[in-house]
Amino acid sequence: MYEKTVTITAKHGIHTRPAALLVKEAKTFDCDVMVECNGKQASAKSLFKLQTLGLYSGVTVRVFAEGEQEQDAVEKVSELLITLS
Amino acid sequence: MSITGIIVSSGIAFGQALHLIHTEHHLDYRPIPLSKIPQQQGKFAKALQELQAQLTHSQAALDSDSENYQLIEADLLLLEDDELIEQVNDAIRTLQLSASVAVERIFAHQANELQSLDDPYLANRAQDVRCLGQRVVAAINGHLGQGLDKLDKPTILLAQDLTPAEFALLPRENLCGIVLKTGGLTSHTAILARAAGIPAILSCQFDADSIPNGTPLVLDALNGELCVNPNPDQQARLTVTFHHEQARRAALQTYKDGPAQTQDGHIVGLMANVGNLNDITHVSDVGADGIGLFRTEFMLMDVSTLPDEKAQYSLYCDALHALGGKTFTIRTLDIGADKELPCLCQEIEDNPALGLRGIRYTLAHPDLFKTQLRAILRAANHGPIRLMFPMVNQVEELDEVFALIAQCQDALEEEEKGYGELSYGIVVETPAAVFNLNAMLPRLDFVSIGTNDLTQYAMAADRTNPQLTRDYPSLSPAILALINMTIVQAKAANVKVSLCGELASSPQIAPLLIGMGLDELSVNLSSLLEVKAAICQGNIQQFSALAHTALQQDRIAGLQQCITSYK
Repeated sequence: MYEKTVTITAKHGIHTRPAALLVKEAKTFDCDVMVECNGKQASAKSLFKLQTLGLYSGVTVRVFAEGEQEQDAVEKVSELLITLS
Repeated sequence: MSITGIIVSSGIAFGQALHLIHTEHHLDYRPIPLSKIPQQQGKFAKALQELQAQLTHSQAALDSDSENYQLIEADLLLLEDDELIEQVNDAIRTLQLSASVAVERIFAHQANELQSLDDPYLANRAQDVRCLGQRVVAAINGHLGQGLDKLDKPTILLAQDLTPAEFALLPRENLCGIVLKTGGLTSHTAILARAAGIPAILSCQFDADSIPNGTPLVLDALNGELCVNPNPDQQARLTVTFHHEQARRAALQTYKDGPAQTQDGHIVGLMANVGNLNDITHVSDVGADGIGLFRTEFMLMDVSTLPDEKAQYSLYCDALHALGGKTFTIRTLDIGADKELPCLCQEIEDNPALGLRGIRYTLAHPDLFKTQLRAILRAANHGPIRLMFPMVNQVEELDEVFALIAQCQDALEEEEKGYGELSYGIVVETPAAVFNLNAMLPRLDFVSIGTNDLTQYAMAADRTNPQLTRDYPSLSPAILALINMTIVQAKAANVKVSLCGELASSPQIAPLLIGMGLDELSVNLSSLLEVKAAICQGNIQQFSALAHTALQQDRIAGLQQCITSYK
């Protein structure tokens, strides 16, 4: 398993549009990519679950994956969490 | 017949009624027999396909960088979301629900979960999820409709609600107005309607059955009214208003996007005075640089209990969101004097204007004050906020205020709640504040002159008595002298100085005030473009010369003469 912890800096958090971009990116990987924040976990491939995490500005997020390309997947998703706004 | 609503996009529109969705979403609450489970799951799958096809079709017509395109993309991602599909199918199977009820339940659950998030921006998305759920239910019921390809006649659209995706599907030609039963002020649809310049009102409780398709309507989104079957008088009156408004707007629109800048390049901050969240959504429509005065007392009107910290926090965050980084100046509760509030027990005073009002009231009720301060401090974590206090007379009051703020900050830190730094200012509205200003300036980032109360207190003339306001106007040598003293002292201390009273809202007087050296004016929304035009048409040397002459006048008539001869 590969994991990474990042902090959301986007002023308005990861709201609908950036979340959609993130999900699309996560779906390009075969392995399961999970996002954990505020004590809740969700698949980075499910906008439905991701929305309910509360990815707002300032929260710390743990991204982890298991399987093929796990490192690439985690790095990509983490990067998007930091850069999207 | 007229029905009222909340204006989200102003203007006047004439057209015939068209209901977007005719049927209320019917939910089949009967438990389904086990044998029908696959059938219901099939219905759900088919509904998803239909809706996806429709959304993909409408998306194809859009630029992939546009906001609408991306919002539809998000809707599409939800519709193909495995977790979502699994939850609905599970609900059908294990609870024996019909497809429509299962969808309604899962989407409602999701919306509630979003709503409970601590962050108002994210929580706002709950409404979008509910709308999408309703569309899926409509598809299950076979009521998805074909979308409106084309409107032949000028049309005013009536609907329960409208998702951004549905909005994107609408043809623009002949779409003159939008009237919705629900819809939040910060909902995407409100923002999109405004951006598209389509007059729209929300929260309009029309009875769909009494307005058949084709009914003549006039949407007066200047006054927030939908006029059904207008009589010739109404039609004529609104037509005149419409043409007048069109001409006035066209002339002023040229100033909307630019700064309030004189011919010789002097830039003035031009802010808006607002009293509720709805006003804030209009700030960019009129080309304001931000908000110079947000009156927070309105939260307390017509309510039986005070909004708690969470409600206030989310209100301020909504405002910040709507402003998108523009200046946001909050005035703390200005209670007392002529403002009676049902939710507070206020003691009866012999002389309320000289009584426990403004900062005096809030300092005397620290719990009430701290709730507001905490909400504002927390909101400042999401964007810049300037905070100002009304009716401050002397530095001792500021000592108390800053002590309370420090307490709130300590408490928030202990509770591990985020808060942001604020800029601080006072409303200068008593002569004492002007004379005590030097003691207070070191603790302030800005001051804002409130000329209405400053006039009342300097003249000892009740501002609610029309006879007195006529004889003791704000445009008088004494008040100009007080304004001038304030400006000179603030400038010497390098503190920004603004003016938020009615004086600034007059396009004739604004040039004089700028000539006196004000950095910023805060005016009524409806006057903003006119004031901006007056600034843009002049130059700072003219304004300074006008101020120089005006400050030498020792009579009201002389001052008025200055103003008239300048124009």
